[in-house]
Amino acid sequence: MTNKSQLEKQAPDSGTVNGPAVTTPPAGEFIPQYEIEIAGVKFQNPVWTASGTFGYGREYSQLIDLNQLGAICVKGISPEPMDGNPPPRIYETDSGMLNAIGLQNVGAKRFLNEKLPFLRKLKARTVVNVFAYSTEDYVRCIEMLNEGEGIAAYELNISCPNTRCGGIVYGSDPKLTEEVVAAAKKAARYPLFVKLSPNVTDIALFARIAEGAGADALSLVNTFVGMAIDVETRTPRISNVTAGLSGPGIKPVALRMVYQAARAVKIPVIGIGGIAGPEDALEFIIAGARAVQVGTANFYDPGTSIRIVKGIRDYCQRKQLHLADLVGSLKTPGK
Amino acid sequence: MAMFDETVSVIENRPLPGGHFLLSLDAPRQAPNVRPGQFAMVRALGRSDVLLRRPMSIFDVQAHGGGRAGSNRKESALRILQLLFKIVGRGTRVMADLKSGDKVGLLAPLGHGFFEEEYLPRAHESDEVLHVAGGIGIAALLLPAKQLAEARFKQRLFFGGRTKDDLVGINEFKPVVSAMLLATENGAMGYRGYVTRPLEDYLTKHTNKKFLLMACGPSAMLRATVELAKRFRHPCLVSMENRMGCGVGVCLGCSIRVQGSGHEAYQRVCTEGPVFWSDKIVWDAESSGLGIRD
Repeated sequence: MTNKSQLEKQAPDSGTVNGPAVTTPPAGEFIPQYEIEIAGVKFQNPVWTASGTFGYGREYSQLIDLNQLGAICVKGISPEPMDGNPPPRIYETDSGMLNAIGLQNVGAKRFLNEKLPFLRKLKARTVVNVFAYSTEDYVRCIEMLNEGEGIAAYELNISCPNTRCGGIVYGSDPKLTEEVVAAAKKAARYPLFVKLSPNVTDIALFARIAEGAGADALSLVNTFVGMAIDVETRTPRISNVTAGLSGPGIKPVALRMVYQAARAVKIPVIGIGGIAGPEDALEFIIAGARAVQVGTANFYDPGTSIRIVKGIRDYCQRKQLHLADLVGSLKTPGK
Repeated sequence: MAMFDETVSVIENRPLPGGHFLLSLDAPRQAPNVRPGQFAMVRALGRSDVLLRRPMSIFDVQAHGGGRAGSNRKESALRILQLLFKIVGRGTRVMADLKSGDKVGLLAPLGHGFFEEEYLPRAHESDEVLHVAGGIGIAALLLPAKQLAEARFKQRLFFGGRTKDDLVGINEFKPVVSAMLLATENGAMGYRGYVTRPLEDYLTKHTNKKFLLMACGPSAMLRATVELAKRFRHPCLVSMENRMGCGVGVCLGCSIRVQGSGHEAYQRVCTEGPVFWSDKIVWDAESSGLGIRD
């Protein structure tokens, strides 16, 4: 029975449809396809690195083969350089970490001149995370970045929990979300992904609002607002007092939100939240994510994303499935 | 700059007094590339609750079989990387349990050490190099001291701790420096009080000499040392510590406040540091993130 269904599945795919040129496989050999397409942009695989955890790519070039990644989402770029929050900025929690960096970044102009030329040469696509404090500045940042060649897409950061205004203020207010996404979409020369905040009651609502305002895809989740206290000194562990929680500890909640968002919209969803191995990534994909982003794991095990690329490949081979067949393939009881 | 991220084996994790450990790792790729003052990011594997690697000064590098690095530093046989640490929180507590044969994630060597181009000329101009260490800060200073000894520099170590047990690693320094001045807060060993007291005495007695100070330790000790360096007009290099997420400059978690404004107001301990000129740093505990426990 199993053999028969595998054979049936194989037949229409063996010539490959949208994928890259593949040499004709020997009769009976299944070649899974991992390439994905979002808003007309092709990514060689669904494993990306998350904004804020991978710098501008080059920092990790000595440690991993960047050309094996699907995409690199760069540190949030604002129109002008930002100096970030006073230290301490990070603190480790059980199975996770808190951070309140405050979006320290080089600004749009230096990004285009100093960082983009390196990224452009890679097989991994460049997704530019965009941050600002006002709708006008989001638009201004995008207009500046529009000058750059070789950007695959923008990821609109309306969910940073660590800056006083902007960021999460946008991502947790339906009206502001709609306003900033619509304005950004109008200005953007490249496809617009919107990075959603998990710090909302109804993620499906925000997913639909972003879709309605013109988002080409959604990425979620950004960090959860949390905090930690040093009881000896009765001071917060992080100078910003509250901070964003990330890491494996948040994965079940992030997974649930990705599942809900993916069911609420037609546009692609990119899953983020505590992904530290192939199985985590596969869970997000099965829940409905077309791609995933590896974040905190880059810090403590830089080889994670490459291991996930290989793990997904092995899984698809073993299951005789194309990646596209996996997306949203969750089998729920009684359905 | 060559850095390597690998899973490596523990050769030995030797307990020392006062909750200190000397961890020897089999690191044939990392060890030969270490420059004095650089650090490693290290993590005991197999614990999913303690995630982040911990930044630690590289105390020493040695040849296989425990041979001294000493004058053979250039030899490719260097393969043992040693970390000297003290239990201060849960990350180091987990590392204290490491046994011979256990695996650790090791990313090294990292950072801007003591003898980078902009620092070296000042060492050559000095009559004597004064190392100032507080507690586990000593771990950053052995390798630079060894290299200076090879180049026949005159050196002196000022080393302070709360108790006698805090004065770890002095045996390693003995053959390298011409004199050691120890201090403990309870007077159990050396001077009673802070290490900056004998340092001040020494600087007062030798106002005609040119010194280069190299310091690593708790923030209060660093601030006092930096004040003395300023008062007596000697250049001072400090090896800074901070919590780190990645060690390679991407998480921006270890940034400290430095002289400068706007986006130049912060620099990363892991990348621009850990060694800085002391006058580059804004010595204000509130804004510099120093004095962190755990």
